Amino acid sequence: MTLLIRFLRSPEGVAGLVLLGLLISVALLASVFFPRDPLSIAGPALLPPFQDRAFPLGTDRLGRDVLAGLMHGARASLAVGIAATLVAMVVGALVGTIAGFAGGIVDEALMRIVDAFQIVPGFLLALAFVSVVGASLLVVILAIALGAWTGPARLARAEVLSIRERDYVAAARVIGMHPLEIAIREVLPNALPPVLALGSVIVAGAVLTEAALSFLGLGDPNLVTWGSMIAEGRNVLRTAPFLSIIPGIGLVLTVLGIYLFSEGLGEALARRRIRA
Amino acid sequence: MVQISLSRRALLHSSALVMASAALPRYGFAQAVAKGGRLIVAADSEPRNLNPAIVASNGVFFISSKVIEPLAEASFEGKDGLEPRLATNWEGSSDGLSVTFRLREGVVWHDGTPFTSADVAFSALEVWKKQQNLGRLVFANLQAVDTPDDHTAVFRFSRPTPFQLIRNSLPVVTSVVARHVFEGMDDIAASPANNQLIGTGPFKLAEHKPGEYYRLERNDAYWGEDKPYLDEIVYRVLPDRAAAAGALEAGEIQLAAFSQVPLADLERISKVEGLKVYSKGYEALTYQLAVEINHRRKELADLKVRQAIAHAIDKDFVVKTIFLGYAQSSTGIIPQNAPEFYTSDVPAYPFDPARANALLDEAGYTKGADGKRFSLKLLPAPYFGETRQFGDYLRQALAVIGIDARIVNNDSAAHQKAVYTDHDFDLAVAPTVFRGDPAISTTILVRSGTPAGVPFSNQGGYANTQLDALIDKANETVNVAARTELFRQFQRMVAEDLPLINVAEWGFITVASAKVSNVSNNPRWAVSNWADTALES
Repeated sequence: MTLLIRFLRSPEGVAGLVLLGLLISVALLASVFFPRDPLSIAGPALLPPFQDRAFPLGTDRLGRDVLAGLMHGARASLAVGIAATLVAMVVGALVGTIAGFAGGIVDEALMRIVDAFQIVPGFLLALAFVSVVGASLLVVILAIALGAWTGPARLARAEVLSIRERDYVAAARVIGMHPLEIAIREVLPNALPPVLALGSVIVAGAVLTEAALSFLGLGDPNLVTWGSMIAEGRNVLRTAPFLSIIPGIGLVLTVLGIYLFSEGLGEALARRRIRA
Repeated sequence: MVQISLSRRALLHSSALVMASAALPRYGFAQAVAKGGRLIVAADSEPRNLNPAIVASNGVFFISSKVIEPLAEASFEGKDGLEPRLATNWEGSSDGLSVTFRLREGVVWHDGTPFTSADVAFSALEVWKKQQNLGRLVFANLQAVDTPDDHTAVFRFSRPTPFQLIRNSLPVVTSVVARHVFEGMDDIAASPANNQLIGTGPFKLAEHKPGEYYRLERNDAYWGEDKPYLDEIVYRVLPDRAAAAGALEAGEIQLAAFSQVPLADLERISKVEGLKVYSKGYEALTYQLAVEINHRRKELADLKVRQAIAHAIDKDFVVKTIFLGYAQSSTGIIPQNAPEFYTSDVPAYPFDPARANALLDEAGYTKGADGKRFSLKLLPAPYFGETRQFGDYLRQALAVIGIDARIVNNDSAAHQKAVYTDHDFDLAVAPTVFRGDPAISTTILVRSGTPAGVPFSNQGGYANTQLDALIDKANETVNVAARTELFRQFQRMVAEDLPLINVAEWGFITVASAKVSNVSNNPRWAVSNWADTALES
């Protein structure tokens, strides 16, 4: 509760929360306003924005409604971003906790695997994974998570290393708790907050990676995403720049919102730590 | 001639100018046609093998046709649509067993060796027949080439081969290479000489900097009088299509062919001063937008389903919205600008979703609770923006009639493997090419029996013994009228049974600086020799 109050005290956090709230409601309402497939051909091609009431943001080269694409695209972007981050955090936190808690050879082995993943740029990893396995929503999510789980893993390990020396962990050992139980029930929950703060940064990165993948034609072609909208618009950049600019603005606002949100969250968490 | 005598004063005047400015070479001819200069052209690819005698494809011809010439070139005015190049006359025997070529005299290769009938014989037997993608079909029954003298070559066939086919394929399959360069090589296809071309053409290949440019230099010993007019042609490699339009506007390049400038930009570009848009000059290399069908899918093996798909496609929309009017809707497998063979007397499939729905119901594929009848895998070819866009459109058009098409995007290599080798598709969008005669690259799209792995061939498992027999008969029919009639029947049969669905046919667009003259003056202009192309300084 106090965390929420502290969060709401930071202007960045509030701005981020408002932006994110807006985006999430847009994403949730997409199917209410546009129940049809956003890729369906709805009107005349290349209609400029603010000209026709039926198509407030105009239409693209095939006559698809840009507003419908934008709203459904918000959903795809956020869904991929959040899902990829969840996968990355769960895997990362688990690996980090196990490594930190077990120590010794297990720690060494797991951390070398993390190193191996960190050496390859995340985007390249995602690119290679998608082109080998084939583009679909699930594959894209896994591909992005593949490059993003190492951050949470390292952070969780560092936290665990300090927490496992604390008195209450020693106490748990003394009363004969199973090491795995200690790791999951005592250590992990206390190691999580900084990892969660990292999570929002990962969401922003994931949204951008997804956009870049679809821009290169490696997204799921049966879904509308902002990256694919920008890529389509690029072909007519000189004659209809709005086709690339509108989803571009969506992308900027999303990433900005997430960063501001994480900034506020980070601040609130830091203050709590100082007090603790 | 008249002009020169009339312009004596002008000549004197211009020679004074020449003295005044040594930087303007050959100014004296400027009134007839500009001579000299360097033409800079956009190129979008660098073919791995540049030898047109082995790889008869437009990407290769675009560069190499200036260096290596065919026996004859396509022409708007010439008899049978041809104009002599290395051959001056050609005649087929009435039994279809031989064709006699009279060859041009006084032609020398770029290295100074004289061009003779031995070069033609070597090219035909060792390269076109054995190595070339298209020549393998056309010259399948070529047995020997007699060379009674240095300037006569007589092609002898083991089975009747229609002269009509040979004639129609001359510009595409008969690029002559030098015997003294390739003779005795074990593996001609892998020879480094394929990228250091020696030809008889108006330009010599001077330099290739991978990733940057090709430079072609004037061949001073060219047989064409006064030709070529240009001193140099430079192909600047610009793989990004949007970049070509910008480079043209900035004057960095003077010509972009093969629709390198995106169609959507043409309206804007056509208003730019000093640039001209040409939609002519591609008549002999018509591209066709076709939906390839995998007949192994039980739903698609049903004619009614194929008819329904044909009725679901709004060809007018495709022409107007995807091709922005720079295309024509198709009626069948042979395009309308092949008037020698084309017939409009075929079953038509007008845009009619209601009829399509009824056909699918009749076929027994009723809509489920979610409005879907069945799902298909759709693979649009990645080669052109238009093929991808048509893929997006087709998915929507099929959704209207309750077919759920899932698009799978691949790069070129993966697409070719998926469709033509692994047959891992239900529908595919292909840009097929009509090359002057249906037997060159069109009948292979529907004839059965092509081994897996051959791109742009029937890999959908379609087999129709009647159609196969008709194609085989046409391949041996020497009489022109009878053969043409067989191909009319062929069009009707294809349109009735729909082994594939032809949607539209298009030529490309050339954008050139207004200073470039003699652009698009033959039906294969972009891939012809450009000997008469000139550039005003």
